[in-house]
Amino acid sequence: MKKVRLVVFLLVLISLISIAATSTGFGADKVTLTIGSWRVDDVESIGKVLAAFTQKYPNIQIKFNPTNPPDYNAVLRTQLTGGSGPDLMYLRSFKISADLFKDGFIAPLTDMTALKQNYTEGNLSPWTNDKGVIYGLPFMAVSHGIYYNSNLFKKYKINVPTTWQQLIIAAKKLKAAGIIPFANGSKEQWDMNEIVFMNLLPDFIGGRSSRLEYETGKVPFNDAKMVAAFQAIKDIAPYLPAGQEGVSYYDAQQLFLLGKAAMFFGGSWDVAIFEKAAPDFEWGVFATPASVGRKTVVCFHPDCGIGINKTSKFQKEARLFLEWLTTKQAAQILADEIPGFYPLSKTGAALKIKSAHASQFLAISNGKETDLRFDWPVLMDAPQGKTDGYNLTQNAALAVAKGAMTPKQAADFVQDGLEQWYAPTQHFKK
Amino acid sequence: MKQKVSVNTLGALPTKMKRKRDCWFLYTIPALIIYIWFMAFPLFNSMRLSLYTGSGFVPSHFVGLKNYVDLFTNPFFRDRLVGAIIHTGILFAICMGIQNTLGLAFANILSGSLKGSSIYRTIIFLPATLSILVTGFLWRLILNPNWGAVNQVLAMLGMTRFSNYPWLGDPKVAMIIVGLVTAWQWVGIPTMIFLAGFQGIPEDLYEAANIDGASRRQVFWKIKAPLLIPVVGLVSILTFVGNFNSFDNVFALENPNGAPDYSTDIMGTLFYRIGIAGQNPIGEPNMGVGASIATVIFFILLTGVTFWMISQNRNNKKFE
Repeated sequence: MKKVRLVVFLLVLISLISIAATSTGFGADKVTLTIGSWRVDDVESIGKVLAAFTQKYPNIQIKFNPTNPPDYNAVLRTQLTGGSGPDLMYLRSFKISADLFKDGFIAPLTDMTALKQNYTEGNLSPWTNDKGVIYGLPFMAVSHGIYYNSNLFKKYKINVPTTWQQLIIAAKKLKAAGIIPFANGSKEQWDMNEIVFMNLLPDFIGGRSSRLEYETGKVPFNDAKMVAAFQAIKDIAPYLPAGQEGVSYYDAQQLFLLGKAAMFFGGSWDVAIFEKAAPDFEWGVFATPASVGRKTVVCFHPDCGIGINKTSKFQKEARLFLEWLTTKQAAQILADEIPGFYPLSKTGAALKIKSAHASQFLAISNGKETDLRFDWPVLMDAPQGKTDGYNLTQNAALAVAKGAMTPKQAADFVQDGLEQWYAPTQHFKK
Repeated sequence: MKQKVSVNTLGALPTKMKRKRDCWFLYTIPALIIYIWFMAFPLFNSMRLSLYTGSGFVPSHFVGLKNYVDLFTNPFFRDRLVGAIIHTGILFAICMGIQNTLGLAFANILSGSLKGSSIYRTIIFLPATLSILVTGFLWRLILNPNWGAVNQVLAMLGMTRFSNYPWLGDPKVAMIIVGLVTAWQWVGIPTMIFLAGFQGIPEDLYEAANIDGASRRQVFWKIKAPLLIPVVGLVSILTFVGNFNSFDNVFALENPNGAPDYSTDIMGTLFYRIGIAGQNPIGEPNMGVGASIATVIFFILLTGVTFWMISQNRNNKKFE
């Protein structure tokens, strides 16, 4: 009996102490928030950004907790459904986050005035629903272009191509010299779509207004311009590495970094990786050029936003963090510490970036129209059991690259697939 | 004879002992609770889930058999399901034909009086102790079209056609390559099981055969093979279950889409893609259809296992 009494006494004592500790005791105001992300490569650099925030708000610590990129969407949804989601989270653009918001996992931010003041409507649109509710802070954008090995270009007397035709001539020249012209492969499938096809597509179809013509059903997805874009994949196919079907994204980066390949269709997110690898040659980047007579349009995509978990205990602190992100100071730290990702705020657009390569990448779109990735805004919204636009263009581009489809067949394939569910284009059905 | 005696004396037992005899099932209750809670309930719950639909991980809307109708008639799912069954079949054929045959051969050699057999045994078993994520990475390097060892060796032997061959990128051969790597990884397991089987065969049978002047081949075919048939059945059913549940080999060598062009899409990857992760890049799972795929896998396995148990029973009767 005595033993039992002792145990009860101890339990009461412990619980009293713990209650006291949480309500008034040590570290009462210090909170730690977690932020979910798919940017596994950024752990070190984002740490500096978060440290700068903690310096300003010493009571708030933010822990960066990234997930392997291809698993992020599924992992985040699992966590949110199970109630163990992070307080803050990176948000993919458009549909994926829109669905999370629709399911009630993300807190609305419409009343945050700093958002509307510091960001254009266009940049807010990937995280705004059809009723105008904003649920994400536009965090960073990425650009697309072609990396090149300056030493090899100099050695074979190649100038930076300004038209698609020059690009193909350069590729021919390089191949004759025994250099792989383009490092890209398609083992992982997404790479052929996201960093090759999306990259060159605006050059062949045009910018935002042309994209809207497809989206609103004015023109079908297999018109001459789309066929020309798939023809471009066919144009570069002979100049990809031998056995490109087995070359992964990582392999492609290595082929470029080893100096075996002279060019690499890539995104600005590769800048940090290439700078870290520090190859023993000069490298630069140029805008994927359009055909003679067409204007070059750069694919510039608002890739990542940040949202607040609706069930987070630290709403106030999370909002403080987002508000801090809208400031010029935050934009400068972001741009410097995470080269290749560009702040989307109005003040961020005019910043001078520490990394020369990252600022060169940003400069390729100077004086040119930019547009976001073609598949993202509406074409991913396929109902269950239908193939979305992303997988359609991906499979078509893959098939053209290995010669299983002609460019015309590829464009027809995309149109046929979208006719299955995308209402605006269904009137083209034969 | 003994049994008969005990049956006859049963009626004479005092009631206290009788009660004790009837209480045996009480002892199974802890195990039963664990089994029901962790095995039976989730199994039936997942089958129940296949009758529901809804977004995310909490399908809430009852739709009857619609998920199954979708799975078998909507070309979006049907083509993938048929493909997955065929590819898993190819995997099973390779694992049976190469992995298990080699395992049997290795075990036969190792069970003899081979010098340094424990070293060989370790070498054969070594890959099975490594994670497939590690071996998958190594094989991806070995099979790489640009710097892979396989292509370099083939090119050195004069087969320049293969000097840049994308083994894992060609839909025609990718599944076979994945199957071969799987067989390489797991060949140690059937080897060990067969070895144990060989060691379970009584020595006196060999002695008798020796005295009768049987050749090695005769010993294998007349003594070892027939006595090993139950073990062969066991290994086959383990391979069957393993293949229809496997996912990691394709995940490590290719991706959950069963690249290239869905040519390595097996039951495991199909279930993962549709039921758990959702297809890249949307990543939105369809739990209902996913659960119905899991149920289909369950029934395929059930058929296989039932078939095995029936044949096993028949075999046992033959020996009695």
